[in-house]
Amino acid sequence: MKQVIKGNHAVSQGVRLCRVQVVSAYPITPQTSIVEEISELCAQGKLDAEFIKVESEHSALAAVVGSQTAGVRSFTATSSQGLLLMHEVLHWAAGSRLPIVLANVNRAVGPGWNIWADQLDSLSQRDTGWIQIYCESNQEVLDSMILAYRLAELLYVPVMLTYDAFFLSHTSEVVDVPESGEVDAFLPPYDPLFFLDVENPRMFGGMIGPEHYYEERYKMHKETLDALFRFPEICGDFKSRFGRSYDLLETYRTEDAEMILATAGTITSVSRLAVDRLRGEGKKVGLMKIRMFRPVPAEQWRKALAGARKVVVIDRNLSSGHGGVFAGEVKAALYDLDRPPRVYSTVAGLGGRDVTSEDVAGIAEHFLEHDDKEPLYWGLKKGEPCRN
Amino acid sequence: MDSRKRSRSAHKVDFKSWRDFTPMNTSVGTMLHNLTGTWRYVKPCYEDKTPACQNACPAGNDIEAFIKLIQKGDYENACRHLKCEEPFPAVLGRVCFGFCEAACNRRVLDEGISIRELERFVGDHGSPALRFPEPAEEHGKTLAVVGSGPAGMSAAYFARLLGFRVTVFEKEPEMGGILRLGIPAYRLPREVVAREFEGLRAMGIRLIPGTAVGSDIPIERILKEHDYVFLGTGVHASLPLNLAPGAPGPGILSGLELLRKTALNEPVDAGPRVVVVGGGNTAVDAARTLVRLGNEVTVLYRRTMDEMPAHHEEVRDAQEEGLTFRFLASPAGLLLYENGRIRCVLCREMELGPPDRSGRPGPVESDRTFELEADTVVSAIGEAPLFDYLGGRLPAENGVLAVGDDLRVHKIEETPAVVYAGGDIIDIPHTVVHAVAAGKRAALAMDCDRLGIAWPEVLEEIRTGDGGALSFSRYRGLPPLNPVRMNLRKVVRHEDMVTDYFMEAPRVPANRSEADDRRNSFAPVSRTFTPDQALDEANRCLHCGRCTECNNCLVFCPDLCVLPRGDGRFGYEVDYDYCKGCGICSVECPRNAVTMVDEETPVDLYNLITPINENFP
Repeated sequence: MKQVIKGNHAVSQGVRLCRVQVVSAYPITPQTSIVEEISELCAQGKLDAEFIKVESEHSALAAVVGSQTAGVRSFTATSSQGLLLMHEVLHWAAGSRLPIVLANVNRAVGPGWNIWADQLDSLSQRDTGWIQIYCESNQEVLDSMILAYRLAELLYVPVMLTYDAFFLSHTSEVVDVPESGEVDAFLPPYDPLFFLDVENPRMFGGMIGPEHYYEERYKMHKETLDALFRFPEICGDFKSRFGRSYDLLETYRTEDAEMILATAGTITSVSRLAVDRLRGEGKKVGLMKIRMFRPVPAEQWRKALAGARKVVVIDRNLSSGHGGVFAGEVKAALYDLDRPPRVYSTVAGLGGRDVTSEDVAGIAEHFLEHDDKEPLYWGLKKGEPCRN
Repeated sequence: MDSRKRSRSAHKVDFKSWRDFTPMNTSVGTMLHNLTGTWRYVKPCYEDKTPACQNACPAGNDIEAFIKLIQKGDYENACRHLKCEEPFPAVLGRVCFGFCEAACNRRVLDEGISIRELERFVGDHGSPALRFPEPAEEHGKTLAVVGSGPAGMSAAYFARLLGFRVTVFEKEPEMGGILRLGIPAYRLPREVVAREFEGLRAMGIRLIPGTAVGSDIPIERILKEHDYVFLGTGVHASLPLNLAPGAPGPGILSGLELLRKTALNEPVDAGPRVVVVGGGNTAVDAARTLVRLGNEVTVLYRRTMDEMPAHHEEVRDAQEEGLTFRFLASPAGLLLYENGRIRCVLCREMELGPPDRSGRPGPVESDRTFELEADTVVSAIGEAPLFDYLGGRLPAENGVLAVGDDLRVHKIEETPAVVYAGGDIIDIPHTVVHAVAAGKRAALAMDCDRLGIAWPEVLEEIRTGDGGALSFSRYRGLPPLNPVRMNLRKVVRHEDMVTDYFMEAPRVPANRSEADDRRNSFAPVSRTFTPDQALDEANRCLHCGRCTECNNCLVFCPDLCVLPRGDGRFGYEVDYDYCKGCGICSVECPRNAVTMVDEETPVDLYNLITPINENFP
């Protein structure tokens, strides 16, 4: 049924539909209303879940690691500083092969203290072993919650679902919310391979020496890479039931594109408008939307981008001392092509600064005419410094 | 524990390929073979201990147990548990000083438990004829008790339970001693006292009122005709006031005499303006009695309220009833009319000086005086025992009888009977509960003497806490309420508790009558708790040192090694195969009912206490 709901509530409805049994989270702007709605759903009897109150995000994820290890479908949500506080446990959850789903609202990392959209928080966690999915709309957020549990429980790899602060978390959009029965058919109850069992006690997370650690981690890596095959299959099943298509990535008007923009998050939406405008002016510009970021769909990126001469990556993040994270990853993926397109890096929209379709069109036009080796810091204030 | 004990599932695994690893980060097989109990060097043991209240009670009442039984609605058994350690809960609940309440651990949380109110409630609900335990079969030894006050009554009660044939001689026409003739009826109704003596009679104790040992029966005959004698004759001589032109004279009464006459419904020639001198219970009892007889009363005390020996609640109640207290004042002399009747009391103002022998600031005379118009002066500055009835056979030192640790009287000339003494005639605090404790101690000592058991050895077994209280139930080998190992000597104070686990709850107030109603009659100044009130107050008890099956240990054990015993049995068992001795159960027990003991200590969790001697089952 179609409803007008905010991104955060799309997550809450996802939690309800997926019949999550344990939630543990610590409030942080702009995630708080996810859990507020979840607690209301519990109070209304619409969701039968146990909520574990904790004093920090580190404990929240640790609690969820505990409940998931006990064999129960679990969920947490956070943002920015909270995600950073969970860092150690993110590694632990993935290493433990626990199919936890975490919703992260992409918010800037402090200091300076900034609560608005920026992707560095989740990107800085890209080595923790979590599958990462970047969403562009509230519909996608809800659908990705359902896809995430199915994928996670298939592979025993945790999934981090991300979307922009305020642009999605607090903005209402039309969302088609599936019926419970439909989701139950798509997502069966969690049937764990191993779980904490007093009748049959096992060691979880035990000590492992140099003679075995490599193989254990390789196995984790290998099985995480399976997402590149399993996710499209699952999306196919999703489409047949719910009618909406998803894949590892999405391309828009790239068939004969000479330049392809690569974006993730809500910048993708305005980029579509920019592409339409530029096409209208006869410029051959296309768009690749990054959806799954980990594992890296390198093969699929190569296939999508190989035909273009130029690829312009727009990063709503800046890894200090390095540059835009997506740009670096796209370059690395394209390296294996015999004649890879040139990759141009743009950094825009940090800390929630608005990026409009005019901005994206401007970025595209800049690179149509120029071949900067240095990244373009779009919108950076570069006037004369005012000193007294 | 044999550390080499392993199951067959423990074997070395050698992975040839990354594919061999378990899909999740777990051990290949079960870990049941890993007996983590072998890592231990200390282990938990459920051990009930003595709570601070029981430790403070001179009689060693098992307060926690009787309160638990109130919570279960089992008033009969609650009464039985009390009567195991003291003979009359209905009396003590009304008149005891309440050392238990002053020590109650709950005071650090909000307010202590109203233990006396609960004791009174149980005393009123339990039948006085309730006999628990059943008196033993008579073994033929006899005990004569001289004086039917709380000391004598307690000695008689416990001796009867131990199988002695007991006779109680009381010189007054009414049984009860200070309970009947000292403490006023508005604090302790006569019916309550009478009911208790009816119970004693029903137990088979012979009560002989109106018979004074010394004058009606010579002490020689008592000593010759009985195997054991207990002296509980109490205090009778009021210390005289030092007043010119000399006292006593007309218009000067002793507080004791006033109380006795009132109790016997004899007329009292006093008032209408009375000055009572003294600061103890006798003074306050006498004063409040005089108010009820229609007099205007002032109490003179030479120190301040902080130093008064009387119950402070009594002082407050007395003030509400219209009594005036003049602190730091002492009578210096009397001004008389020509016919010799008193006109005024000349009073001297006092100041507090350095501490005296009692440890309290000593009264120091100032040179300021004042006059109080009065018709009668009542002296209640202290009482002493009278030993005329002993005919010089047993000398007294410092006005009291010298006794040993077993309360046997020293320096006894050769007599057929073994003589014990207790109550106000020996050097113990002058309270009803101390007298009761003395009677119990003497009865136990008598039984040991009869059986030829060494008293110091018995003392080791039956001492409760770190004071002088003794456990009669331990002597008799009666099982405690919780079927759990009991360590009577370990005391649990508030710092040994984890009060975080308790919610605050207000104390249930006593059902006190209004002051105006109180001052006009000898009716009781308060009514007993109702069952609802008793339950509410009993529910506030923290059950210090005693397991209540609250499940904290079970919930917190990280190894899931604390399990309920099940099948309706009380308490928990520990799976020592896996218990690592982390001690979390012990630390998180709100009541300190789990003790960590050395690994080598044999722990038989449910080894109940065994009887001291084989004469009792």
